[in-house]
Amino acid sequence: MSCRWVTCALITVLLALGCGGGSELPGPAVVTFPISALGAEGRVLVRQLARFMKENPGIKVVQRVTPDGADQKHQLYVQWLNAGASDPDILQLDVIWTPEFAAAGWILPLNQFQPDTAAFFPSTIAANRWQDSLYALPWFADVGMLYWRTDLMKQPPATFDELVQQAQRVRQKGGPRYGFVWQGARYEGLITTFLEYLGAYGGRILEGGRVVVNSEAGLRALTEMRDEIYRHGVVPTTALTWHEEETRFAFQNGEAAFMRNWPYAFPLMEDSAESRVAGKFAVAPMPAGPGGTHTAAIGGAQLAINRRTEYPEAAWAVIDYLTQPEQMRERAEVVGQFPTRTALYDDPELASGLAIPPATVRRIIEYSVPRPVTPIYTQLSEILQINLHRALTRQAEPAAALARAQAEMQRVLNRAGLGTGEPVARR
Amino acid sequence: MERQEARAAWALVLPAALTILLVALFPLVWTVWESLHLHDLRMPWLGKPFVGLDNYVEALGDPRFWAALGHTAFFAVTSVGLELLIGLWLALALNRAFRGRGLVRAAVLVPWAIPTVVSALLWRFMFEGQTGIVNSVLVGLGVLKEPLVWFIHPAGAWVPVILADVWKTTPFVALLLLAGLQNIDASLYEAARIDGASAWRQFRHVTLPLLKPAILVALIFRTLDAFRVFDLIYALTGGGPGTSTEPIALYTFNALLQNLQFGYGSALSVIVFLITFSLAILYIKLLGAELTGGKR
Amino acid sequence: MRGRGWWPAVVLAMLVGASAFPFYWAILSSFTPESRLFQEPSLLPRNLVLDHYRALFTERSFWLPIRNSLIVAGATTIFCVSLGALCAYALARLEFRGKAFLLGSILAVGMFPQISVVSPLYLLLRELHLINTYPGLVLPYLTFAMPLTVWLLVGFFRQLPGELEEAAMVDGAGRLRAFWEVIVPLAVPGIATTAILTFVYSWNEFLFALSFTLGPERQTVPVAIALFRGQYQVPWGQILAAAVIATLPVTLLVLAFQRRIVQGLTAGAVKG
Repeated sequence: MSCRWVTCALITVLLALGCGGGSELPGPAVVTFPISALGAEGRVLVRQLARFMKENPGIKVVQRVTPDGADQKHQLYVQWLNAGASDPDILQLDVIWTPEFAAAGWILPLNQFQPDTAAFFPSTIAANRWQDSLYALPWFADVGMLYWRTDLMKQPPATFDELVQQAQRVRQKGGPRYGFVWQGARYEGLITTFLEYLGAYGGRILEGGRVVVNSEAGLRALTEMRDEIYRHGVVPTTALTWHEEETRFAFQNGEAAFMRNWPYAFPLMEDSAESRVAGKFAVAPMPAGPGGTHTAAIGGAQLAINRRTEYPEAAWAVIDYLTQPEQMRERAEVVGQFPTRTALYDDPELASGLAIPPATVRRIIEYSVPRPVTPIYTQLSEILQINLHRALTRQAEPAAALARAQAEMQRVLNRAGLGTGEPVARR
Repeated sequence: MERQEARAAWALVLPAALTILLVALFPLVWTVWESLHLHDLRMPWLGKPFVGLDNYVEALGDPRFWAALGHTAFFAVTSVGLELLIGLWLALALNRAFRGRGLVRAAVLVPWAIPTVVSALLWRFMFEGQTGIVNSVLVGLGVLKEPLVWFIHPAGAWVPVILADVWKTTPFVALLLLAGLQNIDASLYEAARIDGASAWRQFRHVTLPLLKPAILVALIFRTLDAFRVFDLIYALTGGGPGTSTEPIALYTFNALLQNLQFGYGSALSVIVFLITFSLAILYIKLLGAELTGGKR
Repeated sequence: MRGRGWWPAVVLAMLVGASAFPFYWAILSSFTPESRLFQEPSLLPRNLVLDHYRALFTERSFWLPIRNSLIVAGATTIFCVSLGALCAYALARLEFRGKAFLLGSILAVGMFPQISVVSPLYLLLRELHLINTYPGLVLPYLTFAMPLTVWLLVGFFRQLPGELEEAAMVDGAGRLRAFWEVIVPLAVPGIATTAILTFVYSWNEFLFALSFTLGPERQTVPVAIALFRGQYQVPWGQILAAAVIATLPVTLLVLAFQRRIVQGLTAGAVKG
């Protein structure tokens, strides 16, 4: 009988251990904030939160280390929020997650706190709206940019034709072997690149509940990407397996005249110990085509509030603080991340902090567009990635690929009740 | 006395049996039930309607599902094949007494004991970047002209995956086979040698037939484990590049806990379970036939 | 099979070398500064530093996952071995109807793919508010630990001579006392082996720990290490240092108890 008692006691102890860990003390509001453990970004955030707590003694911010990798962060957030966890109270969202989390009812609409939305870039606000409510505040903006070699040419190209010509000319004169490198692997980065080509020709992916990527503009954009690889030979076929880091290494090693990449690469390539192009490059908006404008895909982080939080006002106070101009400027100086407030770009102090001239950055952000704002964006993106990649690897013709992508995406949208059609019965 | 024995027996067995019932059978039944509904947790406005076998039909028409099955089968066949070959060799070597045998056994056992994700990360590190140790050695030896970026090509990404699995689980296979070898009566070898049989013929006609049960057991364990592979690939390639190394368990995980498609993910889970179960039954039947029918 | 001389020894040496090299490389790299990790790797130690280990405990509180792993693996082992021993004893040495079926079912449960039970377990634990708690991990761990324990212990109990309990009961002891005072002491080696193996499997478990915990306060070591990745860059120095620490306990267990472990792994298998 002793065994039975021992096991019963064990079970009781275990249950007690498990259930005892959640007591809430009255006192300061405790807000949990997920932070990165890595480098300068982690340090500046810790500093800012310390300042916040000094100015707001009634609020205690607890920092929880979360992984930075986008997929892992997404999976963890989905697990936590679906488990009904009340912490972390604040969430750091990738720009494409906001509509998804909003539609699932996991984050609070921010209208009740009356945020000053007019002070932010319109595209960053648009990316965080779902059904007419704002669900997250843009914290810093990442935009796709054209990096170009200042030692090989005097001015960046304004159109794709100019880019191709310049790249070919540079190579003929004994310059780098790759003309242009962009992220062409079958992943989300491909969509951001494609978005910039698409905008250059005046196209869009989604309009309301209708998928419109299979348009004249879409066809021209995809054909241009293909031609750069196979007809003009300025983009290497290996780029179709590259993510951000591989393109950065190529440009950094002096092997490319142009690169499409995010701002993070800039300070890394300025480090002369590692980079062969330090001091020899600059950024510009991606080229435009006929019928379109310069376009930049927008990324970056947004701050949202967990719907189950016990301290919504405190959480809002933290978010509000972190998105104030002083904090944004400090982040720009230390980490090089672009603020999302328009007024800051007139501030001379920002110029001394950012490595890239603020006027250029502002121009690029003004050209930025969000990816389709819909809760099932990741599913749509997957379909589009597969078809674009097939066209780029010459397993399908561009027209056929776009038609297939559009049909499939529309079907998925309709089935989710988000498309313009009736929810289609399953096949 | 027998009734009392039976009652005592059930009293002893009940706590364990009930626990297993609660944490295993009940969830399985739930999974099957979920798989018959449309349940996407990100779209609560769609509700949770009963859809019968629709999720299964969708899975059968889902190219990513078939690709995942293909990856799993490829992984299972390749790694288990290599493990059997190398494991057999290792077992034969360890079968002879020599100094330091215990140390060797311990040394090859350590990879088995560490967490799979740790071994995945060790191997990822060795193959990472252009100056990782593998690239450095291969380029230095002249085998490669340029360092290879292993993880952006589907074929390249499989190499560290298979190597990591073989590294980690060959010891287990070797030990199973070793135990089988040690059960073989030495006098049989004597008899064969007196009859003039060469080492190879001894191996083919004495060792292999008598080792069959052990080989089958090793095959059962390793194939079932290889089919359920998750930790290794999650930590080594994440299923990438794209989804080209994604096994069925990882696809199911993504459907369930990334995309929160609980209905569809549950259907995938049930399919995985059915395949695993069928394989297990097949093997057990084979093993049973071997153990009973194979006796001379 | 004799007469080959040095050839098998060379092959064996190569196999052992191949087995040990990843560890050697990981340990060496965990003491190498981050900036030198991918620059001209050298097979011999150069410039050793403790930065990564220090960072693990100052920047990341790595002792938290270690504590969690110890508690979860330990609790699982104690729980499974105690309940499992009772169950295995009955299955091995008592006669009752449905015995074969029960043993078969328990073993079958051990073969369930974890992925097939992770989502209902997740929902069940959520209803019981056990997500991110210790019982919330120990309970799911029973799905694979209990069958393992029962199976190993059945093998060990069967090996004991048949009439031991009868002798004790003739002397007037009850059945349970016979078990406790006669069988258990003799089965201690088997129970120890089972406990070691259960501990190792629980320590190494990943999928359930990943799915049922929410943060460092309850995450176990494998999960903590797997989640170190950055967005574009990976902190390899810290990952390797964490890996070295994570494997230390099980490595020591293996080296100390390797004979037992081998016995345990092979006993049930080959005897069938």
